Amino acid sequence: MTAPAASAPSKATAPLVVSVHDLRVHFKVKAGVAHAVDGVSFDVRDGETLGLVGETGCGKTVTARSFLRLVKTPPGIYAGGRIDFWSRDARRSGEEPVDLLRISDRDMLAIRGDRIAMIFQDPAKALNPAMSIGDQVAEVFYQHRSEDLVGGGPDRVPSIVRRASRQATTAPERLALRLPPWRRQGRALRRRVDELVAGALAETQIANPRKIMGRYPHELSGGMKQRVMIAQALACNPDLLIADEPTTALDVTIQARILELIADLQQRHGTSVLYISHDLSLVRQMCDRVAVMYAGRIVETGHTGAVFTDPLHPYTRGLMAAVPSASQKRGELLAIEGNVPEMVDPTPCCRFHTRCRFAVDLCRQIDPELLDIRDHGVACLAYASAARLGVPETSLPLVEGTSR
Amino acid sequence: MTTLTPEATGSAGSVAGNLVMTLRGVEKHFPIKEGALQRVVGQVRAVDGISLDIRRGETVGLVGESGCGKTTLGRCVSGLSRPTAGGIYFRLSDRDQIALDEALAIPEDQRTNEQKQLMARIDAEHRLDTMSAAARRIYRRNCQVVFQDAFSSLNPRHLVKDIVGRPLRVFKEASGSELTERVVSLLESVGMGRQHLYRYPHQFSGGQRQRISIARALALDPDFIVLDEPTSALDVSVQAQILNLLHELQQQWGLTYLFISHDLGVVRLMSDRIGVMYLGRLVEQGTAEELFESARHPYTQALLAANPDLSADLDVEMRGLEGTVPDPANPPQGCRFHTRCPVAVPQCGWEVDDAVSWLSDMAGGLRGDVPHQLTAAFPDALTAVERRSDFDATLVFADEASAGLVGETLTGDGMPTSMAAALEGVSVEDHKVSIRFTEVDEVTLEDLGGGHLTSCILYTGRG
Repeated sequence: MTAPAASAPSKATAPLVVSVHDLRVHFKVKAGVAHAVDGVSFDVRDGETLGLVGETGCGKTVTARSFLRLVKTPPGIYAGGRIDFWSRDARRSGEEPVDLLRISDRDMLAIRGDRIAMIFQDPAKALNPAMSIGDQVAEVFYQHRSEDLVGGGPDRVPSIVRRASRQATTAPERLALRLPPWRRQGRALRRRVDELVAGALAETQIANPRKIMGRYPHELSGGMKQRVMIAQALACNPDLLIADEPTTALDVTIQARILELIADLQQRHGTSVLYISHDLSLVRQMCDRVAVMYAGRIVETGHTGAVFTDPLHPYTRGLMAAVPSASQKRGELLAIEGNVPEMVDPTPCCRFHTRCRFAVDLCRQIDPELLDIRDHGVACLAYASAARLGVPETSLPLVEGTSR
Repeated sequence: MTTLTPEATGSAGSVAGNLVMTLRGVEKHFPIKEGALQRVVGQVRAVDGISLDIRRGETVGLVGESGCGKTTLGRCVSGLSRPTAGGIYFRLSDRDQIALDEALAIPEDQRTNEQKQLMARIDAEHRLDTMSAAARRIYRRNCQVVFQDAFSSLNPRHLVKDIVGRPLRVFKEASGSELTERVVSLLESVGMGRQHLYRYPHQFSGGQRQRISIARALALDPDFIVLDEPTSALDVSVQAQILNLLHELQQQWGLTYLFISHDLGVVRLMSDRIGVMYLGRLVEQGTAEELFESARHPYTQALLAANPDLSADLDVEMRGLEGTVPDPANPPQGCRFHTRCPVAVPQCGWEVDDAVSWLSDMAGGLRGDVPHQLTAAFPDALTAVERRSDFDATLVFADEASAGLVGETLTGDGMPTSMAAALEGVSVEDHKVSIRFTEVDEVTLEDLGGGHLTSCILYTGRG
């Protein structure tokens, strides 16, 4: 399975940041093995925004979480594939990419939150309710910027301060830092951290960042909390930002501001974004390229313009027709009947055949590959070549508005 | 006794008259309690004076951001919570409604005896919180609710048969095998079947659970269903199924809906008339078409501009609103939207709180690119506020320098022009700054003609 070649003029030639190849993440369930993500391949290039759309249970969040190895194993199983990641420094020095699924836990710790950061769906759940905003954001700096925090040469800094800058102190040591002779250095460290935190919060247009730092998450509005999360994610200027439904829990008026903020920060820092959403119209607004997922597979991918003006896969079309719009009449929404199937020990077939209006017998027997059709990739037998599959032309499904 | 046979009552919205629900000045305030004695220190005005008519066969949509009071209003209308003030009337005749409006327009002590008698009769027969037991029984079976989260609104320990059959059992409509058959036919009408009778809610997908909720709501053949965000927990493809089903059922059973949602696209599709809520008030009301084609109120316009749409022009930027929703315990004076309104004028109700929050924004460096010199003085140096009214107050500072700085900022030209124009006077005296704004009255919904109501003073002629 190969990802189709991208063809946008500017960002297509940009170097790769992440290349996902045949990613498979499975879950052990009572009934067998659920194939949540089953052979997903895509690339994210430098500075571009890739949208991952799909309905609940299509595997988009699992895909994103496996970037940072956040899928719990067991019950999760990384069943195969690779996620190659080039950090900016690695690319500059011409190093080979690292495979995020195989690097050591220690290496992962260094990447997580520093080179790859994630914004979660519900800021109310993702922030620690028992920690002040300042302390939460400060953790990123303690974790990844401890070198900058202490400053000075290695011999001039007492090891206790060095440990404090990594949050590796024990309780008596923390007490000692409040007493002479280390009190001064302890305070200086705290001051430097506060400065960085205030700077990070100010980046996301939070008013009075110093005041907010003393507050707790429950004191902030949803939009504010999401801004804090964004500040936390972008604190270390990551190469890749994974935004997992960042505005689903917010109101439309706030949503527009948050999206504006993400787009603005992305432009200024040149961050690549993997944008995950179930909302087609948002993806259309935000993304350069889009990949539509269904039941653990990418069924269609391409440039946002191409996919939205000329959707090829019956699922993409169905999804677009199901969104209520001004031109539709009441009671005449084109719903996709049925539900997303659970992929427990699936047999080779087109995963959409149970809900597809155009499905034929062949769809239940052959697993369609992602083909390069009209500038974008689509996994549907209607676009496949009968000769290559070794079946008669007439046994292929016919999708409205397509010509072979 | 009602039967399950669906009665066709013509197309939705065509029946004039026939009021199902009449709301007059409905308020729901929640007390804020503090301290060991739980003393009431304030009121959250969740719903603050809403009047609305819902007629047979139509769908009235309610939209607004979270916290605007739309769900609270839905709970009041469905009898789940009792309004603090105002009346909700069920099945008023047109004549009673006109008489009621006349009576409500004059103060209570000036009403004639006839009017008093009429009010007493209407209260006993139609008003939800005072109606007689017999009237309440009729109301209860004719008003049903479908909640947002079908998982928490279905008892996880009950079988589908018990859940859907419960209303029939409570109203002693059916029992035994007749009950089972009625439940099966209800399930069939929402696209499910006999095979689902003996299953628990957790065995269903979100869409199916919502279908079960709808079947339960239909069990007693009601007139009126409150749909509180019925599809916001669902995927688009399933949402489309449920919306189609709701429309079909409305046609077949002659239902009236109050459709509450934050999704403008969904509300537009489903509603005949739409009310837009902001901070417990209706700010605009009109037919779906009017509201979307020629929205008047800036809040409605902002909602529309922020709403992503698949057919939207990509060059037109999605715009959000500045700032946050004000505290409903202390809503802004005048028009409640003026603190975030992009087209606010001096008459919108600027008050002392606006000046203070503007000052703290300045001090926080949010309005300017560079941190303002105020940062040193505000708000740390502010020690007390002497408030004479919402429009007139004195800020007391710790030292004269801060007071002088604040006074200078207030009279400078950085202030938004409409707020500056509403500012009647600023005087600095020692370490005190007195601020006075022009007083304005509360804004009300006014008819622009054709049933399109708006509360924006730019259109109601008070501006």
